[in-house]
Amino acid sequence: MSFIDILALLATGAGYTILVTLMCSATGMAVGLAIAMFHRLGSRQVSACLAVFTYVFRGIPVLVLLFIVFFGLPGMGIGVPPLVSMMLSLGLIAGAYLGEVFRGALDSVDGNEVLAAQAMGMSRMQVLLYIELPQMLRFSVPGMVNEFTTVLKYSPFAYTVGIPEVMKQAMALSAATLRGVEIYLAVGLVYFAIYKVLVTFVWALEKRYRVPGLTEH
Amino acid sequence: MVLLQTRNLGMEYDGKPVLRGIDLDLAEGELKVVMGPSGCGKSTLLRCLNRLVTPTSGQIIFRDEDVTRPDTDVRALRQRIGFVFQNFALYRHLSVLDNVTLGLRKLRGMPLGEAVERAKHELRRMDMVEHHHKYPAQLSGGQKQRVAIARALAMDPAVLFFDEPTSALDPLMSREIINVINQLRRDNVSMLCVTHDLFLARSVGGRVLFLDQGVIHAEGDAEQLFGNHSDPRIRAFFSQEAGNQ
Repeated sequence: MSFIDILALLATGAGYTILVTLMCSATGMAVGLAIAMFHRLGSRQVSACLAVFTYVFRGIPVLVLLFIVFFGLPGMGIGVPPLVSMMLSLGLIAGAYLGEVFRGALDSVDGNEVLAAQAMGMSRMQVLLYIELPQMLRFSVPGMVNEFTTVLKYSPFAYTVGIPEVMKQAMALSAATLRGVEIYLAVGLVYFAIYKVLVTFVWALEKRYRVPGLTEH
Repeated sequence: MVLLQTRNLGMEYDGKPVLRGIDLDLAEGELKVVMGPSGCGKSTLLRCLNRLVTPTSGQIIFRDEDVTRPDTDVRALRQRIGFVFQNFALYRHLSVLDNVTLGLRKLRGMPLGEAVERAKHELRRMDMVEHHHKYPAQLSGGQKQRVAIARALAMDPAVLFFDEPTSALDPLMSREIINVINQLRRDNVSMLCVTHDLFLARSVGGRVLFLDQGVIHAEGDAEQLFGNHSDPRIRAFFSQEAGNQ
């Protein structure tokens, strides 16, 4: 079996790795945006609850939360499918981190622009949608790339709940062939290729929406 | 016809009075200039008038309607008042054209084509139409302020508020803005301008109100106030400002 054959076999699991990464990143984006928006629009009590959520979820290891969701909840009569378990563990933890990234980026929006929009007659929600969020997303690109990369690197935990992603394929192949060095080297290459595509896509988006004088790169 | 009136308007921050007993009248097509030392309540007065901050006492009558009543539609009021800020406050992520069309599209529900046409008309009036594709960071201070004025005018406001429109500009750019204000005056645009720039107040020629410690102490023509006024506070302010310029 050549190195190319190993790569081809692993590629069958790459689709699941990409699926897990995309679903968990999307969950993280949704949760992070919700945290940032509620922080901005909500009361002090809401902000305090969100701060507790962020504090707790940033402190829990992904694997522990994944096991609580996938192996723990069925004991309480709540069965959670593997992909959903990943979204409720890795996705929520990514959301807690992204929430902080977005909150910092929102603080970078010039308060005078917010005031000008309110003076024009916009509601608080319109100000958030048309003035703050578009700038916040642009300011957040480096932090988002960081977090998406982290999600990709934690995606191998999906094999522990039975998702046949790259790592699971590699372990099965390694057990059958005892060519661990080549196989795990190939795994590294597959992850690097996915990382490269992901980063290229995000930076292309950033370039497409770049505004002169707003962000420095 | 009176456009805007305040009666005994007052405002407090944390129990400390910022504005006291303000009586002000602005007629349709009139320009008034509010002057006074830093921290005297000039900007707070403007923000009270368009209800960005809520006055603690008194009344604001806008076109015969008491807009201090609790059931006032504050957002509708703000849409009838154009506000130009000292630091321009252009939306940095939007082009010049989008800065001007945003309010028309999202607040007035105007179709894109019509909004663009209207925005270009106002930009042309401000001599900025050839810069419509640029972003705020690519403009000079004077150009930014002209876009801010076009943005406010595009909403067809009943009155235009200027909050220190020249204080972030060098003398040359200040003259540009003074020319624009004079042009608007000729077009009968109602304006209330807050400034400590004597040159601006002299050049635009409206009536001047002197505000100090939240109270209007005098109202008159610029030359009347800038001369040897009987009130020592007014004399001291204008002689100090004249020395600074």
